[in-house]
Amino acid sequence: MTATAAAPAKPRTPRAASTVPLTAARLLWVELRHNAVPFILPLIAALMWFDSYRPSVTQPPVWALRTFWNMGQGHTIIDFGPFVAGVAAWMGSREGRRGMTDLITAAARPRWVAQLATWGATAIWAVGAYLVFVGVMFGVYIGQGVQGSPPWWWVAVGAVAVAAFSAAGFAVGAFFPSRFAAPLAAIGSLLVLMMSSQTGFRDKGGWALILPTNSNGNYQAPSGIFYPYLPDLPIARMMLLAGIALAAVGLLGLPDRAGGLGLRRAAAVVTLAGVVMAATAVGLTTTARLGPGGIVIPALHDAANDRQIPATPVCGHTAGTPVCLNPAYRQYLGDVTAALQPVLAEVAGLPGAPARAIQVAGPYNSSEGAFDAPMAISGHPPVLRIPLDTVNLPGTSGFTARPVRFIDFADQLRVLAVHAFVGAGAGPGTTAQQVVQAALMQGAGMPFAAQPQLLGIAGLAPPPPGGPAAGTGREVGPASKTVYAAARRLAALPAAARHTWLAAHLAALRAGHLTLAQLP
Amino acid sequence: MNVELTDLTRRFGRTRAVAGVSLAAGPGVFGLLGPNGAGKTSLLRMMATVLPPTSGGMRLLGRDPGAYGPRREIRRRLGYLPQNLGYYPGFTVAEFVEYFALLKDMPAGQVPRAVATAVERVGLGDRARAKLRTLSGGMLRRVGIAQAIVNEPELLLLDEPTAGLDPEQRLQFRALLRDMGQRATVIVSTHLVEDVGAACTEVALMDQGNIVFYGTPAELIGRGEGTGAAGDAPLERGYSAVLAAARSAVAARA
Repeated sequence: MTATAAAPAKPRTPRAASTVPLTAARLLWVELRHNAVPFILPLIAALMWFDSYRPSVTQPPVWALRTFWNMGQGHTIIDFGPFVAGVAAWMGSREGRRGMTDLITAAARPRWVAQLATWGATAIWAVGAYLVFVGVMFGVYIGQGVQGSPPWWWVAVGAVAVAAFSAAGFAVGAFFPSRFAAPLAAIGSLLVLMMSSQTGFRDKGGWALILPTNSNGNYQAPSGIFYPYLPDLPIARMMLLAGIALAAVGLLGLPDRAGGLGLRRAAAVVTLAGVVMAATAVGLTTTARLGPGGIVIPALHDAANDRQIPATPVCGHTAGTPVCLNPAYRQYLGDVTAALQPVLAEVAGLPGAPARAIQVAGPYNSSEGAFDAPMAISGHPPVLRIPLDTVNLPGTSGFTARPVRFIDFADQLRVLAVHAFVGAGAGPGTTAQQVVQAALMQGAGMPFAAQPQLLGIAGLAPPPPGGPAAGTGREVGPASKTVYAAARRLAALPAAARHTWLAAHLAALRAGHLTLAQLP
Repeated sequence: MNVELTDLTRRFGRTRAVAGVSLAAGPGVFGLLGPNGAGKTSLLRMMATVLPPTSGGMRLLGRDPGAYGPRREIRRRLGYLPQNLGYYPGFTVAEFVEYFALLKDMPAGQVPRAVATAVERVGLGDRARAKLRTLSGGMLRRVGIAQAIVNEPELLLLDEPTAGLDPEQRLQFRALLRDMGQRATVIVSTHLVEDVGAACTEVALMDQGNIVFYGTPAELIGRGEGTGAAGDAPLERGYSAVLAAARSAVAARA
């Protein structure tokens, strides 16, 4: 073939730099209009309704409790992640499945840019849908009068997780462009999330805290009410997930066909940055420790977040004693005062009887849902400190098969209050303390026959038969027939005589110095 | 010269798809003829800068496509229709052409007009908003041509562009080729020799990775005269005669 005429290439007007963002925006718009994510949104909405929303409304109307299931345990991520990864893989494999690779490679814009536009549209749809769905769920919560403050940091973790799943799925589809890429990415993502949850159940500290559906140490009932949601762990998780997203997106730019050498170097830097970011996040998490308001990562911690959230308590009175709660628990004030009335009346006038009852935050625990905080009486004048978030509040509760009745709630508070009054601490107490506790419970309306069960429900069941608890050196043991026989004798005393005896012996009883033989 | 190929070779494993092709071409319409497996598509893919040559030299539009910067500049001025046109079924005709206009780095402000023009030129103006999944094979081929010409390319590579077009569309397409050939170098790979006769000013014939003939269509016709070669039309007889001569020469060397 020879030329009929030789002609130099026509000079072309250089492109204005301002048109580049416009072109990219137009490309993104075309991709947004043809993305597959909207097709699966009804499915995700249904799944989120059944898996994330419905179980959460069985919890009391407190943000930390309502959202622990869907945000703290990562159910919103589980609802979105596998589907988003699958659809992203479908979009990522589109070019290869449709035989468009040559055409796109022959275009002036680097292939990586075309892929980024497709992924960008996928991520925008997925993250946008996540935020809208969560926004709707939170709107419903607000309509239900949920108290406290929403866990925004954990919403952000979910959004970054969705972006990470979209990036990882897209990369799978781009590198393995077949119709099987989408189901493989979806199933693989589900397996990863299941492993994340299972590892979380097993490892309650260290690097495993970084896993996106590990619910240990995320946040607990006092979060957003007494303490801010600590951002340390969310920041580390977002670093990990953003690192995964960056690495996956960067990988797309590494092959020869992706673009020029400079662009491929940039892609390598992005990939490396993603890997370093993810590794740094894991490294930071290994330094995590338990603080009073949640998991603290020293390098990410801001001491300002340790300050309690100021609140003006709401108060009522019962048996001449003020009872004050955090305003987030305002709706339970009547139930709490009614529940404490028999106990406060029974101990009124005795040394160490509470002059006031206030709600306090339960201590933070590294395990989810493992509340082990009894009430305590301390200070001068004595104050009964009630960690209300450690008991099942009246109404629906995710921890019980049926709604918690007032009497069940009241019994828990009464048992814990009496237990605090006799100074038994976290365990069942000494035999003498058990006797006095049983007599006071009887006086507060809890018959002896029901007490073993009530103690068990309150987490104060005596240790199993077999003698004293090892290593305590204290006279402790099961609430035996001997205990209840002595308790019956004490309860049978005239009120004035019992009052007088208690006034004389409470100090020794609380110190653990009183023996069974010294009881009346 | 818009196209300068020097001893261009492409191997796939032990197979030499293109075996030392040298060509030079300026503006005009060039037909690339040859039987299946002759190496036409591999040659076009190399000229489209999607397939790197194994060896040899190539300059396109005065630039070396081996370096990324010049390659990108070539791609801005390139139109390419692959043999198997992939497409996104959910896109409309206009969106598909716009998508490639944007990927070809056209200024965003010029894209809508360029898309409308390209769609009109292939006779799909009334189907611009139709989804690609609703189009026939011939219409899809025209969409492929529209995306190739949307940027007014200076080098247009068309691999089997008339496959699936009806006779009326082929006539229109030949007119389009002649029009494009006024300003650009158009290389058309085909095995429909009548297309070459009607639209091409020059023709090359490939067999087993080599150029075995190049010249004008009239010269190709001349090669077939009096040889008794098979074919219904003069160009077909020229085509058959050149191929037969090339193959007997190879057999003699062997």
